[in-house]
Parts: sequence; structure tokens; C-alpha cells
Amino acid sequence: MPALVLIPVLLVLPQLIHGGGWELVGQFAMAAVQPSLDPVVIQSVISGLGTTVSMALLGWAGSMVLGVGLGIASSRTVWRAVLGHGAPAELIRKLLAIPRSIHELLWGLLLLQLVGLEPVVAVVAIAIPFGALVARVVSDLIDALPTGNLNALRAAGAPAGPALVTALGPPLLPQLLSYSSYRLECALRSATLLGVFGLGGLGTELRLTLQSLNFKELWSGLWVLLAAMVLLETLLGWLRHRWSMPNRFTKKAMVSGRQGQELVALGAALIPLLVWIAQGQQIDPGALLHWQPLPPIGPPHWAELAGLNWPSLVGNTIVLTGLAAALAVGGAPLLLLLVAAWPLGKLLVRGIWLLARLWPPPLTALLLLFVLKPGVPTAALALGFHNLGILGRLLLECAETADRAPEQALISGGTGPSIALLYGRFSSLARPYLAYGAYRADVILRESVVVGLVGATGLGSQLLEALSSFAWDQLLALVAVYAALTLLGEDLSDRARHQLLETAHGDDQSQEVGGAWR
Amino acid sequence: MRIPARFTAVAVGLSLALLPALPALNPTALSAVGLIPAQAEVQKPVLRIGAIPDQNPEKLNRLYGLVANELSQQLGVTVKYVPVTDYSAAVSAFRTGNLDVVWFGGLTGVQATLLKPGARMIAQRDIDAQFYSVFIANTASGLKPIRNVKGLSELKGKRFTFGSESSTSGRLMPQYFLSQAGVKLSDFAGGAPGFSGSHDATIALVQSGAYQAGAVNEQVWKSNLRNGKVNRAKVQVIWRTSPYPDYLWLAQPNLDQSFGKGFTTKLAKAIISWRASDPEQKQILTLFGAQQFTKVNGAEYKQIEQVGRQIGKIR
Repeated sequence: MPALVLIPVLLVLPQLIHGGGWELVGQFAMAAVQPSLDPVVIQSVISGLGTTVSMALLGWAGSMVLGVGLGIASSRTVWRAVLGHGAPAELIRKLLAIPRSIHELLWGLLLLQLVGLEPVVAVVAIAIPFGALVARVVSDLIDALPTGNLNALRAAGAPAGPALVTALGPPLLPQLLSYSSYRLECALRSATLLGVFGLGGLGTELRLTLQSLNFKELWSGLWVLLAAMVLLETLLGWLRHRWSMPNRFTKKAMVSGRQGQELVALGAALIPLLVWIAQGQQIDPGALLHWQPLPPIGPPHWAELAGLNWPSLVGNTIVLTGLAAALAVGGAPLLLLLVAAWPLGKLLVRGIWLLARLWPPPLTALLLLFVLKPGVPTAALALGFHNLGILGRLLLECAETADRAPEQALISGGTGPSIALLYGRFSSLARPYLAYGAYRADVILRESVVVGLVGATGLGSQLLEALSSFAWDQLLALVAVYAALTLLGEDLSDRARHQLLETAHGDDQSQEVGGAWR
Repeated sequence: MRIPARFTAVAVGLSLALLPALPALNPTALSAVGLIPAQAEVQKPVLRIGAIPDQNPEKLNRLYGLVANELSQQLGVTVKYVPVTDYSAAVSAFRTGNLDVVWFGGLTGVQATLLKPGARMIAQRDIDAQFYSVFIANTASGLKPIRNVKGLSELKGKRFTFGSESSTSGRLMPQYFLSQAGVKLSDFAGGAPGFSGSHDATIALVQSGAYQAGAVNEQVWKSNLRNGKVNRAKVQVIWRTSPYPDYLWLAQPNLDQSFGKGFTTKLAKAIISWRASDPEQKQILTLFGAQQFTKVNGAEYKQIEQVGRQIGKIR
């Protein structure tokens, strides 16, 4: 169904294509098979990757600490157990919506103005919005747990603290670990993206090599990044499997015995590792306290602010989000269906999705400009492509673990493989998938700022322009509008998700799917 | 199967985990990315020089590596070149004190001066008081050389790219001349111009046909012509603008406090003393496309400030 949106996109495409730069696209494609192997290039790529991975790891670790702490603080169950009332939880939740609604790139660029070019900026830029997001998921997870054990313990006279830990800790842990492993993958993508906007690491190298059309060096960076991403995804997937963590739909046995020991060992090893990395990267949290004097800020130019074409900026942003979301949500199952009958095809689709996840959207956008005119559809293509890679992978993972009996029945009844896949397997996944799609649309709205490079694409491009003009008043107004829009979008997507899930499943499962599919 | 899988995963995990340590062994590589603030602030101050990334990074690395060496010899302090990714990052880094002396364009120089009161304009090239941009076009675009500024209206409906958003010669002044010809940014194909990021990128993109026309710094255009990077069958100049003031060296207001009394003056004198008779200095001057550096008359940049305010790049 969402794939229907592809039709209008295909219709505008011919008007967009100017085809002037096919030669460049050719060069870019050719360079993929002959990346630069110059030791100087390789060395700078590897050290860039080191910086990016460090930012990702530290930012992720920070976000988990923040998220678990704040998540517990914003859980209704916890407040009820401690105070007997859930109201403070609601307040904390509302407050956390604000840092969450601002994309990590904006956090990065704003912090850069406050503390200067310090390595710690990228780490904190990731930790703040990710932390607020983790907090929301953690509190949702806690509140969705059955409270029978907790009530029993409390009734037996156990104090609130120990009772909470004993009753809620064990069922929460596997879900939390599973979710945190997905966040680490997201952190790697975010750290790369921050680099594209000048915060250092491999992203910076990628942007500079693309800008100087040095495709061979660009591909050295892309291949190394690809290797790192595949390694990380494989390792985390293996760990999830080994520790029998829930794979987003099913609940399995809890961690115990040997797995538990391994977990503790890994956790213990992680801390000195993180400290060591922080020292290696000269990350100094103290730098955060040394605020640079703010520039002389004149009085805001109200007339100019009001003069911005707000309806068109907001409208374009929404159209961009809608188009990109439809492309991603509709594209993933469509591609799978198209190649279902062809065994090599699935491999090909997997490959394309991997590349889609790999390329930061602004780089894809710049590449698209070689052959497409600038504008909203071009930006939407870049953003949609990236999210297609993320959604596709999740869909595939779930499709593989889903019940195959109906599909087998259809095939043995003489139905073709694509139709069997569609009616047999996808139909059971449709609702949770669309529910996740609704969440993804929300992420895309936040992310639309990163394709602002493609010109005239709404709030994002205006924001980058305001930043390069050092127009603080515009910058603040734009960030505020962005945040308001994201909060509104989040509310809408939450409702859509609840509706999709509650009609399909029991309440308990919907919570779990809603939580873990982020 | 289980055991090899576990070993692979452990090996993978270890190699990923160890990766971040690599730069620790190689701090120069990291500082090249601009991530390490000068470490020696406590012991001996390091002069951190920077520049707007108006050309390809490899060219900048070569040029500013030479500049750092030369200044270090002349002034007897350690000088380090810190690259940045875009023009506004250079302005921000100057404002937050991460860079001591920066080679700015006219617009970024004025932005930085306004954001950091007391910053000192110490030198410019002989060509900077009268600087030019050229509009270039792909030969397949059908665009022909024009006689005067009004002719720029031919560019309406074409795919057009500027350099960086904050470039004086690649955006500010070209946009000013375009507006004189009645061309608005929304008049270009796709409803917006492109921003290639640098002058080298603009030339490459117009030559490839990805954009039909663009505006570049004349000095970078000439140096690309000399180096044979331009295919004249594919890209040509259609108009040269009238002159305006551009690039300059800008220094932090407090250099004398950290490097000793009179340091800023010494620094300016050193730059202005470079001559083609010295082989190293000749190399630097050639890469800058200049005969020599001169003093700056700050008043010249009022024009840039005015145009900047008109276009909204200066507030």
C-alpha cells in the first residue's frame, strides 16, 4: 500500500533529471572497484575511522547511562512504587521531549559555537538526544512490565528500592540490551554524519574527498566504513543471538548462568576501554565547562524573522518528510517482493540496503545533484534511500524469523513465490512494520535538516544558511519551529502506532513492539 | 561451527575496539583533522594558523604546510596548520579561539571581525584590493560571452552553482552582480543555485556538465588554466566582474599577550617581507597567485560589509 506513493515520485522524476553529470556518476561508479590504496590515504582513513568509532562508542555509552537513569526517573511504575503517585513521571517525560526533538547535528553545531572545536562536542551531541530517546524507551519498557511480582514484594513488606530492582530488573535487562545494541549501530551512523558537517573523523574525509571529486579516495573511505559497519552489525547480531535477546517480536528465556557471567565480564571490560579511548582521543569533559564568550548579539530583527516564508518552509519540510518516509516504508517490501523469485536478487537488495545505510544522506544528496535538479524531491530521494536501508534490514530480519507455515501452504497450493511471500509472511508483519514506519517518519522529520545542503528544501536549508550568516535570532527561531514540528509529528506517529498495534495484538505485545522497534 | 563463529566475533570485536586507539599512537594525523587543540599551551604556545577551504584540500595542505614552516623559521615559534571543513567553521573556530591567524575571504573576514571585536587585519595580497570573479559556462549550455552585467539575465532557468555559501568571490559578489541584472536565486533551474563548496569544485562541476554555469574566483580559475586542469573545449569564461576587495590575513586580538609584546606586528612584517627572490617564499607566493603581500586598509572592506548586509550574510 505505501508503495503506491512511488507512482507520483516516478512521475516527477523525468522532470528532475538533467543528466548533465552522467560522466561524473560513471567516474564515481568506476572508482568503487579501484579505490585509492595510497598508504597516506589509507592511514588518514583508518585514523578517521578511529575517531568516528570513538565518538560513536563514547556517545553511545553516555546516552545509555543518561537514558537508563532518566528512563527510571520518568517511569510511572517507579514513581508509584516510591511515592504512590505517577505524576512526576509525566512531567519528566514532557521535559525530555525537548532534547529529543532536536537532531544530533543541531546539538553538535550549537555546542560547537559554545565550546569551540573540541573532540568532546561530537560525543555530547550524540549522548544528549540519544539519551533522551533511550529514556523514553526504558520508561515505556518498565511501565509495560507486569507489576504482579512488584505488588507481591511490596505487599510482603519489601522496601521500594530493592523491590523494584528484584521485580523489574531481570525481565527488563534482555530487552534493554537488545535495544542498546541497535542504538550503538545508530551511533556509528550519527558519528559519521557529524563528521560530514565538520566535527572530525571519517565523515569529514568523505565530505572533503567528494567535494574535490576525488572519487578514488572517497571509495577508500567508504569501503573502510562499510567494513566497520558490517563488522559491528554482525558482532551485535551474534551477541543478541547468543544471549537470546528478544528479536523485537518474541520474548525468550532470560539471561542466566554462563551468559550472565559473560555479560558482566563484557560490561566490566567496557569501562576501562571507554576511558582508554577517551584518553586516546584527548576527549576532555572539562572542555564543556569552558564556554567561549558569546559573540556580540544584536537585537533580534523581528521584521526579518517574520519576513521568512514560514508556511513554505514548514510545508516543504513536511512534504520532504512525507515523500522520504513513503519511499522508505513502501520501497522496502516492494523491493523484496520484486526479487523474491530470484535467489541472487535478495543478495543484491541486501547489498543496496547496506550501501544505503552506509552513505550519509548529505553525501547521497550531493551525488544526486550530478544528475538531478535541486529541490524537495531530490532531497527526499536522498533521505528516503538512507532510511530504506535501515527499514529494509529490520524488515528482512523479522521476515526471516516470522512464521513460515502460511507461506509454505500457499506455495504448495501452487501460488508463485512473490504472492506467497506477500500473503503468507508479509501480511502477518504488516501492522508492526507500518507501526515502525510511523516511528521512522518521525525520525525522518528530525533528519530532514541534514539534507539542507540540496537547496530550498525547507527549514533545514534555511537553518544552514542562518548558521553561515551567524544570524542567531533566525537560528533560534528555526530550531524552535523544528522542535515544535517534531513534537507534533511524534504525537501523531504515536497515535498512528497505537492504533495500528492495538487493533492487531494484545496490549502487552504492542508495547513491546513499540518500544523495541525504535 | 560454533567455535569458529565465536572466534571470528571475538576477533571482530577486538579489532573494532582497538581501532580508536590507533590515532592515539599517531597524534599528528588527528590534529590534521583539527580535533586536537594545541596541546602545548601550558609549556610553549603554538601558533595555530588556518584558512577558509576555498580550494582542494591537497592544495591547501601543501600551501599552508609551507606557510607554517616559513613563519616558524622567521618568528621562532612552533606554527601549526589546522584544516577546517567549511567557511563558517573557519569563522567559528576563529571566534572560539581555536585558530590564531586565519586566511579569510572578504566576507568571512568581515564576519570574523564583527564576531571578535579587536581582531587585527594584518596583510593582504597585492591582488586583493582589486579582486575579480569570473562567470564560467559549459560550452554545451549554449551560453555565450556577455558584454555587461545586464547580460547575466541569460542565466535565468540555467543550472547554476556558487562555491561556498560564505565565499566572497564565489557567492557574495556574484550574487550582487546577478541581482543587478535582475536575477534572483529562485530563477535558476530547480528553484535554487547549487553550492559546490569550493572554487575547484565549481570548475569541475561546470566542466562535467552537472551545472551549466557557475561563478569562481579569477585567481583560482587562472591557476587551474595554468596547471592544465581546465578543458577549454568544455568550459569557458562568459564574464569578468568589476573589481572589489577580497582575501586577508586576520589575527586574534590577544596574540601579543600569549607570544610576547609586538608579536602581531612582527607577524605582519614577516608575511609582508616575503619575496620571490627567496626560493621557499617564491613557492608560497606562486601558490597564492601573488607577487607579494601588503598592508591592509580596513576601510576597503566597508563595501563588502554593505553587500553582505544587503544579501543577509552579515547581520
